[in-house]
Amino acid sequence: MAAAPDTMRSAAPSERTAGRGRLGSLADALVVVGLGALLVAGTEIAIVLHQGGQYAWLTALFPVVALVYVGAGLLAWRRRPSSRLGLLIVLAGGAILVSSLADLDTPATGAAGAIAQTVVFAVIVQLLLAFPTGRLYERAERRVVAAVYAVSLLLQPPAYLFAPDGALSIADRPDLVDAGLEVQRAVGAVVVLATSALLVRRMRRARDEQRRVLVPLFAYGIFTVLFIPVSSALNDTVFGGSTYWLGVSQLAVVALVPVVFVVAASRGGFERTGDIAELGAWLGADEVARPGLREALAATLGDPSVQLLFRVPGEDALVDEHGRPAVVPTHAGRGVVEVGLGGRAVGAIAYDATLLDRPEEIREAGRVVALALDRQRLTVELRASRARIAAAADDERRRIARDLHDGLQARLVFLAVQARTTADPSAVQAGIQAAIDELRALVEGVMPAPLTERGLPAALEDLRDRLPTPIALRITGLDHRMRPDIETAAYFVVSEAVVNAVKHAGPATVAVSLERTDDRLRLEVADDGSGGVRAGGGMRGMADRVHALGGELAVHSTAGGTRVRAVIPCGS
Amino acid sequence: MLMREGLRLVLEQAGFTIAGVAEDAAELVHRARELQPDLVLADIRMPPDHTDDGLRAVLRLRAERPELPVIVLSQHMQRRYASELLESGERSVGYLLKQRIADLDTFVGDMHRVVDGGTVLDPVVVAAMIDRPRPGDPLAGLTGRQREVLALMAEGRSNAAIAERLHLAEKSVVRHASHVYAQLGIEESRQGHRRVLAVVQYLSR
Repeated sequence: MAAAPDTMRSAAPSERTAGRGRLGSLADALVVVGLGALLVAGTEIAIVLHQGGQYAWLTALFPVVALVYVGAGLLAWRRRPSSRLGLLIVLAGGAILVSSLADLDTPATGAAGAIAQTVVFAVIVQLLLAFPTGRLYERAERRVVAAVYAVSLLLQPPAYLFAPDGALSIADRPDLVDAGLEVQRAVGAVVVLATSALLVRRMRRARDEQRRVLVPLFAYGIFTVLFIPVSSALNDTVFGGSTYWLGVSQLAVVALVPVVFVVAASRGGFERTGDIAELGAWLGADEVARPGLREALAATLGDPSVQLLFRVPGEDALVDEHGRPAVVPTHAGRGVVEVGLGGRAVGAIAYDATLLDRPEEIREAGRVVALALDRQRLTVELRASRARIAAAADDERRRIARDLHDGLQARLVFLAVQARTTADPSAVQAGIQAAIDELRALVEGVMPAPLTERGLPAALEDLRDRLPTPIALRITGLDHRMRPDIETAAYFVVSEAVVNAVKHAGPATVAVSLERTDDRLRLEVADDGSGGVRAGGGMRGMADRVHALGGELAVHSTAGGTRVRAVIPCGS
Repeated sequence: MLMREGLRLVLEQAGFTIAGVAEDAAELVHRARELQPDLVLADIRMPPDHTDDGLRAVLRLRAERPELPVIVLSQHMQRRYASELLESGERSVGYLLKQRIADLDTFVGDMHRVVDGGTVLDPVVVAAMIDRPRPGDPLAGLTGRQREVLALMAEGRSNAAIAERLHLAEKSVVRHASHVYAQLGIEESRQGHRRVLAVVQYLSR
């Protein structure tokens, strides 16, 4: 059961996120099925051991094998709810449980067991042909599966109708039993050969990466479907007629079947349409109830370590779901596949390259979930910008508090002392003057008075007057006031860009232009300084402001200068 | 409110009579029309909008009566306000930062100058105009002394006052002034009060 821990790891988060939704109720149902199987198997084992007999322990192993099927089937079911594979494996387990009823010494159980004796063989054939979706797509496959059920159910009756004893026995006719067995074996042989042929054909048609999974699985499957009838037929020559060895070997071969299936299923990617169908089902599921995108991808790709990365504006690196820059160590066996939507990069999927190194497949999964990824990206971006806006407001408050406390308050305390001690009122007056200047500068920094009193053009002229570098100001279409939030955002974008340029880039001139059309305010700040302005820092805060108004902001910085452009919708 | 009452107290002590007090811009216009005062003193920022209501009220009054002496007080320096006030008529106009009230003697002197038909611009406003960086700055050719003369001209000082302030002969002031005119390309024939507007308009370009 090498795949089991893996399966459980990836299943655990989805259970948490699923809550009481669709997957929650599925999980509950699966638990009920599992407990029911456990109860039946436990009862059977207890009765068989109680009845005693030479091979009681061997007989008791059949329900145990049935439990292996049920367990493996439930895991596969849980893992890929849209595939019927898990259901089929559970049914096979159920068939073994029913056939084991034959070993209990009651007429009813004996009858049920006798009828279901070879059903498990049919289910195994169906499992092989229906791998990996659990569905049969070709007519040939459906016919073979129908035939195998006919063999196990319709050609079985002679074995119990003409048995020497048993609840269903109508006559003791060993000759008819033998004849029936011959017919069953002959038809069975044809079905087994047809099954093998279909499986070989599928292996040959498969792509290389699928073949990696299909070959071991189908090889074992063909071995199983051949071994069971052939070993029964050759029992006398190989095992010397010992039902003991026949039983042990058949049981061992059959017990390994679900293990092989779950291993194959856990390797993922065996059948692309299977995976994509899984993601498609996820996309269509109720959003509240379904597990997260990451969990769905992890389950589909069979890689619990799958990470979602997002491309957000103003950030050079990809970011994680918390908006923090993500570092993907490619040297440590991690692979990264970019996800695009309509020609624009929205994010990436990082995966364990040692576990599944099939970028093309992950790229395809990425194409399916690109829209969902993009939406999650917007959420990530929104959350991050909200956090930054809140943090910026806090920083601003801290700065104001510090300026008031360290500057103005200290100055006033000093003035109070001075007023008591000095004989020179002009010194006190000068101090008061300085305090007023300081207060005005502080208020100006928080919200420039001209912006409140006169609007954007006046505020920008005022800004120009206060800077040491010549600013060429070109304003068109701004004869009327705009909404205060737009004016404020535009003002602070320009002032941040201009002050940045003057402080760091040492430009000879800065050109500021604002143009208002009917529904848009375009602004541009271009300097001829040394460039090197990054989108982060103060400019990031400005971008957040602009985005909050539904606008866009772009910073383009080269050695020849920096250009900050913003467009803000301002339809009145 | 605090400001208004403090100002009333200080001005009454300085010998002025307070004809009336207005709570907001509309009332200011109404009372000034009614009382016909010798001087209107207004804060730029007033109710109801707390933007530039006071300035707009004063400009309205000046439009009706261009010779009405007005002083507008501002929390901060704004070049544009100075230009707009001067454009409403160059005589009897003052634009000062609020904090100038603290230096009561100068403030009262400024009020009298405005009542007498003079022009008063806050030195900070003028300094900002002169020091403002411009591409190909024509002020770069001025000497330090000429700059001082230009600044005082812009503040609305007469040649005599400039001479006294800079400890120069009035003749030298006139000489410096003509040099400034030549440098800036302003017509020298503009004499007296009109020169403030010319200088300020030039500086605001």
